[in-house]
Amino acid sequence: MGWGTPRKGIGWKARLTPPWGDKHAFHVKNRVSELRTVAGLSQGELGKVLGVSRQTINSIENGRYLPSLPLALAIARNFDTSVEDVFIAEGE
Amino acid sequence: MTYARTVGHRGATAAVLVVGGGALATATWIGGEHGLALGLVGFYALATLAAFFWSGRDGDVAAIMRVGGDERQRRLDLEATAYAGLAMAVAAIVGAVVSAARHHGDVGAWGVVCAVGGVAYVVSLGVLKRRG
Repeated sequence: MGWGTPRKGIGWKARLTPPWGDKHAFHVKNRVSELRTVAGLSQGELGKVLGVSRQTINSIENGRYLPSLPLALAIARNFDTSVEDVFIAEGE
Repeated sequence: MTYARTVGHRGATAAVLVVGGGALATATWIGGEHGLALGLVGFYALATLAAFFWSGRDGDVAAIMRVGGDERQRRLDLEATAYAGLAMAVAAIVGAVVSAARHHGDVGAWGVVCAVGGVAYVVSLGVLKRRG
């Protein structure tokens, strides 16, 4: 699988729960890979548009990295949608 | 807060190696170990070249070496620095304890390192708390 090849589905879960547990913990999934594929962009091209590295886009799509709020807003605006439509909280 | 990516400078890490390695080699030369000083010059020259060429690559480590990168790369750098600082703190504390046991309670230079680390942490925490 190349760097620019999108994964299936809506990305892996990003676990926010600390090791000691938290009553407010929840999972965040994202649709960045899906939206990027629909837009016909590679990870590198999306990164260039947003001003971040290709590796960071890859980490976000795979759920290894949760972006900051400004970057999450920029991602959502880039796809003409809302943050809640891109990043989906589960288990609230 | 911004997520803006910074380019950094390709020669950043190389410059640190030149300055640090140069200072160490000069001190070693002044100390009379001329052979070792020349060896250090050679070692740091090679390390500087390697750092300069690596900094030009596309990747997380290269971005950090340029003192640039995006928010994720800066976070990686920050966390790696924190872990390295933790390892150094543990080494300094163990060194101070061992020194105290061996030299009748004298913690020696390890105590200075521990004091600098402790004061720096408290001051940094205070400043960062004020920033929010």
